[in-house]
Amino acid sequence: MSIAFKPEETFRGDYSYRNSDAAVLRFPFPFPEDRYMYSVNIEPHVRSGPSDVFLRPFDVDEHYIAECRDKAITLERDPGRCQVLPHMMMAQWDTLELLMENLSADYPEQFSLIKEGDDFGSRWTWINRPLGIEQSFIFGNAETLPCEPFEYITRQAQGDFAICDQRDDNLFMDAGMVTSQADWSLEFDVGMSFMEWHGPVPLAHQTGVFERALKYLLMLRLGQPVRRLNWTMSINPRLDTSPESYPEWGPDRASVTPENAGQKVHLRVELQTLWRLPRSNAILFPIRCYLASLEDLARVPKWGARLHRVLSSLPPQLVEYKGLTRYLPAALEWLAQHDDGRELPVGTEAGVSTLAPR
Amino acid sequence: MIGETLTLKVAAASAISPSLRHLRLVAADGGKLPPAAAGAHLQLVLKGATRTHRNAYSLISRPGARDAYEIIVRRVPSSRGGSAFIHEQIKVGDVLEAGWPGNLFAPVRTARRHLMIAGGIGITPFLSYLADFAFGGADYALHLCCREDEQHVFDPWLAGKSGVSVHWDADGRRLDIPALLAAQPVGTHLYVCGPAAMNDEVLELAAAAGWPASHVHCEHFGSALSGGEAFRAFLAKSGVEVSVGEDESLLEAIERIGVKAPCLCRGGACGVCVTPLLDGEADHRDHYLSAAERETGRLILPCVSRARSGRLVLDL
Amino acid sequence: MLHSDIKSRPTYTQLEPDLSGSQHLLIVEGDTVLPGRLDSLAGTFAPVEENLHTWLVGTQAGGLGLGKVWRLPEVADVVDAFACATRGYGIGDRLYVQGTEPFLWSVAKAAAIIGFSAEQIHLHHAGSLRRRVWCTHCHTVTENVTTSIASCAGCHRHLLVRDHFSRRLGAFMGVMVDAEAPGEVPAVEESFA
Repeated sequence: MSIAFKPEETFRGDYSYRNSDAAVLRFPFPFPEDRYMYSVNIEPHVRSGPSDVFLRPFDVDEHYIAECRDKAITLERDPGRCQVLPHMMMAQWDTLELLMENLSADYPEQFSLIKEGDDFGSRWTWINRPLGIEQSFIFGNAETLPCEPFEYITRQAQGDFAICDQRDDNLFMDAGMVTSQADWSLEFDVGMSFMEWHGPVPLAHQTGVFERALKYLLMLRLGQPVRRLNWTMSINPRLDTSPESYPEWGPDRASVTPENAGQKVHLRVELQTLWRLPRSNAILFPIRCYLASLEDLARVPKWGARLHRVLSSLPPQLVEYKGLTRYLPAALEWLAQHDDGRELPVGTEAGVSTLAPR
Repeated sequence: MIGETLTLKVAAASAISPSLRHLRLVAADGGKLPPAAAGAHLQLVLKGATRTHRNAYSLISRPGARDAYEIIVRRVPSSRGGSAFIHEQIKVGDVLEAGWPGNLFAPVRTARRHLMIAGGIGITPFLSYLADFAFGGADYALHLCCREDEQHVFDPWLAGKSGVSVHWDADGRRLDIPALLAAQPVGTHLYVCGPAAMNDEVLELAAAAGWPASHVHCEHFGSALSGGEAFRAFLAKSGVEVSVGEDESLLEAIERIGVKAPCLCRGGACGVCVTPLLDGEADHRDHYLSAAERETGRLILPCVSRARSGRLVLDL
Repeated sequence: MLHSDIKSRPTYTQLEPDLSGSQHLLIVEGDTVLPGRLDSLAGTFAPVEENLHTWLVGTQAGGLGLGKVWRLPEVADVVDAFACATRGYGIGDRLYVQGTEPFLWSVAKAAAIIGFSAEQIHLHHAGSLRRRVWCTHCHTVTENVTTSIASCAGCHRHLLVRDHFSRRLGAFMGVMVDAEAPGEVPAVEESFA
């Protein structure tokens, strides 16, 4: 499968990131109904779903090259975005193996993995054609890679990755590569237990969502990954909306008007998957971020109207927690023109196969 | 690396003692197996003449091995029949169904030191631990308590490994468990796998010696099994009755007869499949219902829960 | 503000000896002992006195009668003492710490580094509510924060002190309060005196 990469687009500065029509149509729109509330919306991560992004376990799209470059810029400025506690080496190799095997199997035009054996100590050669990388190394020997295995492979993947160590009937976020996060700090949270790192989330604790989710994840099985969608909003197509760089992107929130909201305000959807890792028994938690402007989304009539309804009825605590307070009125005013009040079918499917011209 | 079941072929089988049989299993299609971790187990589907057994066995193959899985099975006279089946029926070339490896007994990665106490065949999970610790350079000690005549049975897997002591019931050879437990430095994790009486004794002694509960680990196979006794369920709305087998869930049985039931996680967490229970007593195994909801006896999660009484009536 | 809905916020308990422990180490920040309270602490720990060591840290460490007593000038000496512990600590040992939050977590972290598990460590908050604050932007730690908004000792930004707490850093999270509208700083309150 060939992918028309857009290597020049940017996620900062002039923000030249744009979605093609195909990218808009495959956007993982997260709202099946007109109202949103937290739930344990976990389902098996099978190779199917209402969007093409579910067809492969690790989705690679037209933004791959540009996203990897943006990640490198962020890491250059703040190496602390990659954190790995010392007991996580086995999980690092698990992650490298999982990503290399899946990417090379699902995208053979772009990635190849040549193995002389499967065990630690075997020579492997990894070829990443979009990024122009060919690397031979000894599986299990970190010194044969330019950096530690987790950082090495996650620099070559879209989205963020956390690894949770499982012990004492709990999960601990003991490693991460986090450069495109929705305002949480890995350097602050690394080492925290499941309840601790979810500490700031409002409302959900009281309904027991996290207790149930944790119990479920502790039983997560090898070979049976699960997924859920999460969402927030960003001003400009910016990947690095970390608390670290908040002084840089915070002012953008005050720049939204009803006139520019369609271009500036982006729905930010995270496809979160969870994988039991084979050797370490840890859980890999990839968080793949998709961005689409309100203008992009409104080209799908059902999505524009539904987003208007969801955002209109959001509990105030969630508005505050997701940082929408300052610009939500402008975004709603812009979206209102795309909501004629008709009944919308339940489900997240676009319901159209082509988009109206821009 | 996504899948639930494996089709395995017996590549080799040998008696390593009068009561122990070693099996080497490979993928029936000649492909690669999923890698597995130290402490992992394999659930084998053993189709006997009268019933099907699903038994879990610790993998003793090196962690990460993809060419073959290895297990050692002791013949247990009082077993449900699975071990007898493996000893009497299975031969090289046989094909077996299995689940993907699971792991309820993984070593704790933050441990400063690992202390393992094995009783006889209970050494099996620790054979994969040893290979894992050799890779990571972890500090460990393994104490094997066994019959004197079995002291060399596991030598092929212990050769060249330091930190291994073998004990048996003779003067000067017994393991002084209280002294061992009292002498361990802060940061040690204790793992015990053996006969139930030995497990209980070690757990009690550790608690008495002030070990934090989170540093004490015991292998339980039972919780890996999701089945139970067979029972019947009547689906009131659909007007059909279904028999739920020992090895299938209520949800699977409902699906098998073509009745549509909503579900999502299939693990008792999400609550999507929660169904009104009109009659009968449920054996709740979910993580979703509150204690008060269980108390009322009016709801059930068919993906994991079963019947305590012989028949359930569901509003489906 | 010692109690919060945020789940990362630690909760603390009164100190009492865990009788299942083998050796007991009590570490007290001297400033947080009210007159007469040390005697009452001694009474509490009397059942384990034979296996009790007490470290009194700081200036006004007065009082006697708590097993073997050792005096240390400041918390850094406790951290050093753990780091260079020649006597190994045992898996059955228990650690009890009393003091301000920065003190508790400095000690707990040093103990965790040599292998103490959370179950072996009992923490009792006493004295000031002052906080250690970690700046999300420049990663500098600002000590002795008593206000809802504090100036970062590193980058001088005005930081809103959130309740989100990291045990690894022993610190609360500080996030720039006027990033979205520079100069709009809410009134500063004395929240953690």
